[in-house]
Amino acid sequence: MTHVARAFLLGVLLFLYAPIIVMVAMAFNASPLYAMPFEFSTRWFGALAGDAVLIDSTRNSLVIAVLTAVIATILGTAASLALERKRFMGRAILRILLLPPIAIPWIISGTAMLLFFFWTGIGRGFHAMLIGHVALAIPYVVLVVGTGLKNVRVDLEEAAQSLGSTPLHAFFAVTLPLLAPSIAAAALFAFAVSLDQFVISYFLATPGYSTLPVQIYTAIRKGFTPEINAISALLLGFSMLAILAFVCLSKAGGTLERR
Amino acid sequence: MSAVDVAAVVKNYGAQKVLDDIAIHFQEGAFTSLLGPSGSGKTTLLRIVAGFVTPDQGVVRIGADDVTRVPVHARNIGMVFQSYALFPHMTVMENIAFGLHRRGVRGAEATRRARQALDLVQLSHLGERRPKQLSGGQQQRVALARAIVFSPSVLLLDEPLSALDRRLRQDMQVELRRIQQESGLTTIFVTHDQEEALTLSDHIAILDGGRIVQEGAPAQIYEHPRTRFAASFLGDANFLSGPTMPGGIEIDGRPIKVAMPFETRGRATVAVRPEKMSIDGPGENRIPAVIRQIVYAGATTTYLLDGPEGLPFRVFTQNHEANLHPVGSAVWLTWSPAHTILLAE
Amino acid sequence: MQGELAGGGLRQARSGRSLKRAMPVWVGTLALLLPTYLWLTLAIFLPLLGMLVFSFLTKAPFGNAKPAFTFDQYLAFVRQPYLIDVAWTSLRLALVTTGLCMILGLAAAMALKQAASGRARTILFMLIILPFWTNGLIRIFSWTMVLREGGFIDMVIRAFWPGAPSIGLLYSEPAIIIGLVHGYLPYMILTCFISLLAIDDDLIDAARSLGARNYVIFGKIILPLALPGLISGAVLTFVPVIGCFMEPRILGGRVGVTMGTVIEDQFTSAFNWPRGAAFSFSMLALVLVVFALFSSVLRQGGIAREDG
Repeated sequence: MTHVARAFLLGVLLFLYAPIIVMVAMAFNASPLYAMPFEFSTRWFGALAGDAVLIDSTRNSLVIAVLTAVIATILGTAASLALERKRFMGRAILRILLLPPIAIPWIISGTAMLLFFFWTGIGRGFHAMLIGHVALAIPYVVLVVGTGLKNVRVDLEEAAQSLGSTPLHAFFAVTLPLLAPSIAAAALFAFAVSLDQFVISYFLATPGYSTLPVQIYTAIRKGFTPEINAISALLLGFSMLAILAFVCLSKAGGTLERR
Repeated sequence: MSAVDVAAVVKNYGAQKVLDDIAIHFQEGAFTSLLGPSGSGKTTLLRIVAGFVTPDQGVVRIGADDVTRVPVHARNIGMVFQSYALFPHMTVMENIAFGLHRRGVRGAEATRRARQALDLVQLSHLGERRPKQLSGGQQQRVALARAIVFSPSVLLLDEPLSALDRRLRQDMQVELRRIQQESGLTTIFVTHDQEEALTLSDHIAILDGGRIVQEGAPAQIYEHPRTRFAASFLGDANFLSGPTMPGGIEIDGRPIKVAMPFETRGRATVAVRPEKMSIDGPGENRIPAVIRQIVYAGATTTYLLDGPEGLPFRVFTQNHEANLHPVGSAVWLTWSPAHTILLAE
Repeated sequence: MQGELAGGGLRQARSGRSLKRAMPVWVGTLALLLPTYLWLTLAIFLPLLGMLVFSFLTKAPFGNAKPAFTFDQYLAFVRQPYLIDVAWTSLRLALVTTGLCMILGLAAAMALKQAASGRARTILFMLIILPFWTNGLIRIFSWTMVLREGGFIDMVIRAFWPGAPSIGLLYSEPAIIIGLVHGYLPYMILTCFISLLAIDDDLIDAARSLGARNYVIFGKIILPLALPGLISGAVLTFVPVIGCFMEPRILGGRVGVTMGTVIEDQFTSAFNWPRGAAFSFSMLALVLVVFALFSSVLRQGGIAREDG
């Protein structure tokens, strides 16, 4: 029974990783037509360095992701404080209103934004993408920070108030430091959501301003080239490193907590 | 320290009346317990004094100041929470110094006073620990030190002992009483544990359904409960109801005499504490009963008996001699009219 | 010491502050909520409303155009029956992908729970989740390397059977489905595994001690308790897949015409935005209908959880 399970897991892992490994391997193949036999080369990575459009769009992606993380984290944290800690009418409805950004297919929200922003003169490009990305990231932030807030007891803030803190000081002295790991995780999540976002960026991109995923899509549609493999391999390596760093950090945080 | 006055306080949550016209005076320097079952409104009353809850009507005074609309942080209260609510990201010393810092006391002076408070709760050696590294009892002491270090006008305790095991709880009761008496703080203590209330308090207020049913010194309430609820919530009691007759009531054709004067009209209920009854002993009031069950507990024995008309009785006896009455034996329960408490119902 | 603690000096210093009144609670609550919901209104709710308006117009109200009210954009489904086929393709892709993900995901989660424990299990779990953290485009693109004529699969087959004909899966519906399953399987394994972890092993031992066979244990215990995970995984898969356009474009080529690609065309090349808006809203309606149909299952899942 156990070896059947192991064999199945191996199959799943093969299914998940095989294409990615093949794709990365091809990034190091000298032939522009992915021709065999394999001949090792780093020329495609070299070609990337000279590709101004890719470099620009990479910078755009990073700038938007950082701004999205900052804005969505601040807004979402504030909202989750109210949704988690305050009692008021309509709280349930406000929670449901957080769902559309996640539960509506991106192509619908993306085209809706394109149409509305164009119509009202907000336009497309950097600021339009930022508006969209933040809206997509906010629900995740509310979720992550809300879960964190459930683990910070309300009576800690009450205790601070009983000791002479104003509600605001109680929040900054007690709740915020205890919530910091959740907020950091939420920010990271928002960053990842934005960096990975393709559909909405695609509809809001202008000829002069686009993000890396949009550029990759355009490049793929123009035809496969090993250059796409190279940039994909780089991105993959980057995400894997980020994940590893995150895991190590959270482990370190975990041990600190237990200490 | 200051006296605390609560006058005509009403609090409703929607249609539910949580506190109904509460008026109570907490004497300066006294230890007052708010005793009641869950849902009686005792915690709400404490939170109104603390300022976490604003009453719908009524006035709260700390000393001479009307604090009804004053936010918590400006009330100068010290509070110990049921879960202790120690700040997990601060050391014990930082926790204790928090209230001092909020009052502008910093640096060496803050450290000195925090140390002093730590000494008072006998945890001088644990100042640099984090709350998670302390036992429940130690956390309890830190919470207490944190609440009293800045000399609050009033000390509020929200069931602080309920999370401790029995033995530790008894130690902490003694400790709490000592610290309260040394500091002379006006203290309000919320509990549902009658024994705790009896041991610790100068004054007890029993709450039920958002009203104060009875208040007074522990011995006074215990010996003279006014209602069936007060009698059964503070201590155990046997209840007897019957038609009134001159000087007492009638149970199964027998007169049960009541020492205090009362009006002969209709039916009445009396209460008798289980330790005030004896089996086949002296006493003017007598009722026949059959022993149904014996609970032997070393120093004492509890008898459960069936009286006339199946009326249940409970009797505590000190085990002066080793001879127990066997189960099934028919005996006389006897007690004095002075221990027969007439209840208002 | 007693004098120090009882000292009233501090209280004096504070009496000046005690006159301050508390701010009404709702002001703070509103201040916390307003930025988020204004942002969502600007980015989501108003655009959706705008799109609803657009979908009833004859043409986009830009420049000098004088649009009129019409149902034509929705009637396109009647007048151009191939659109129904396209909608069905999208629905079929979404249902098949979601179904395959559910079967494979639950099986993988169960295998993961059974095959390993402790550290080994954590590492395996991380390995499964890791690909999900890389860009979806890249993962889809990587399949073209495997499926295309002369790609990895053909290479492997020809290694054993030189001169074999090409499988040539690329640009077919199976290729799209493979890519989509690859994209969303980690989600499903994640949600199922979390549900399964919550099942107490004693429960299964208890059932076995009561004489339950494996298939009974699966049907009566594991499946009902894993249902919340299965359902949230299904929602997380179904919603993006029904709107997909990048996957069919890359892996489906000419075969890959879905509602997603039709909408994309209306907005990026045909520039018939009212038509595109109508299609987007039809898709939203389709999603809502499917949710409504499955909500009965959802409710049963909720009951199963309360029982457990």
